[in-house]
Amino acid sequence: MIRGLAILLFCQWLGEVVKTALGLPLPGAVLGMLILLLALFALGGPDDGLQKTSNQLIQYLALLFLPPAVGLFFLGPTFADQWLAMAGAIVLGTTLTLLFCGALLRWLTRSPPQ
Amino acid sequence: MSAWFGTLGALLLTLLAFLAGERLYRLSGRLALLHPTIAGAVLTAAALHLLEVDYDRYMRGNETLQFLLGPATVALAVPLYYQLHLVRGLVAPLLITVVAGAAFAVLSALGIAWWLGANPQTLLSLASKSVTTPIAIGISEEIGGLVTVTTGAVVFTGAAGIVLAPPLLRWLRVDDPRLWGFCMGLAAHGVGTARAFEINPTAGAFASLGLCLTGTLSAVIIPLAVTAGRFFG
Repeated sequence: MIRGLAILLFCQWLGEVVKTALGLPLPGAVLGMLILLLALFALGGPDDGLQKTSNQLIQYLALLFLPPAVGLFFLGPTFADQWLAMAGAIVLGTTLTLLFCGALLRWLTRSPPQ
Repeated sequence: MSAWFGTLGALLLTLLAFLAGERLYRLSGRLALLHPTIAGAVLTAAALHLLEVDYDRYMRGNETLQFLLGPATVALAVPLYYQLHLVRGLVAPLLITVVAGAAFAVLSALGIAWWLGANPQTLLSLASKSVTTPIAIGISEEIGGLVTVTTGAVVFTGAAGIVLAPPLLRWLRVDDPRLWGFCMGLAAHGVGTARAFEINPTAGAFASLGLCLTGTLSAVIIPLAVTAGRFFG
């Protein structure tokens, strides 16, 4: 558990270092994920500790998104006239994006006619 | 005012709301609208209103939890490592879809919001709605959006994604877990990825891939597009 957490934090820290050194617009955690992925391929897979910690953290991703989601109910009175536009853009935009991506992927992966 | 609430009260409220949300979700037969993130957030917001605790105080109490989002993002490399061999034969379709899909997500959101009368600040805050929270916040700061609105829009998009994706993708007959997982990560980032992992590990890994590629691409392209837009418009 602790060993796994140490590895994850070390990768995140390396990501932060790379981000600052190269001035990249990506968060350290995303770079850290790429670093860990490369390391796993180079070293031949995670050990038990890392695997256990990772599974546990991923299992609780939904919990980690709860506090920011609460913010949606506290955007304040200045935002009152923007709600319709935001909700419309999100619901309709997400619907169209899913349809677009699903249809495109299906078309691109269709099996060639026999 | 609500000093008694403290750090522990805030953290405890999140955990209790999540547990209650999980129970509701299970009792409803996993109705997407009652996903623990959505139901839990509604319960938490209601509790904060009743207890007259302001959101900033609540958020400060949840910093420990927010801190875990970093290592949890890094952890996505592990399932990705195990599933990446399944990408064989799909590299080109996935790359084409992420470029076209990420652009489509931004343009559709901006077009609809503009049509419904959003002000420029809201438009800038909405541009990164399909991108995972830490990247979205970075983009929003860069282009001059409101971070609170962006965070809300990102999570709202995730919630919409997990409600809408299963019926829409079933209707399109996209039933390969690699493909619909990827769509969920692309359109609904971390929330969609969490949901994809609940359904199927392969879908979860491909959602992580979609999330990562969309985030990376958007972080580079959205600020550039806004700069170009300002230059020409």
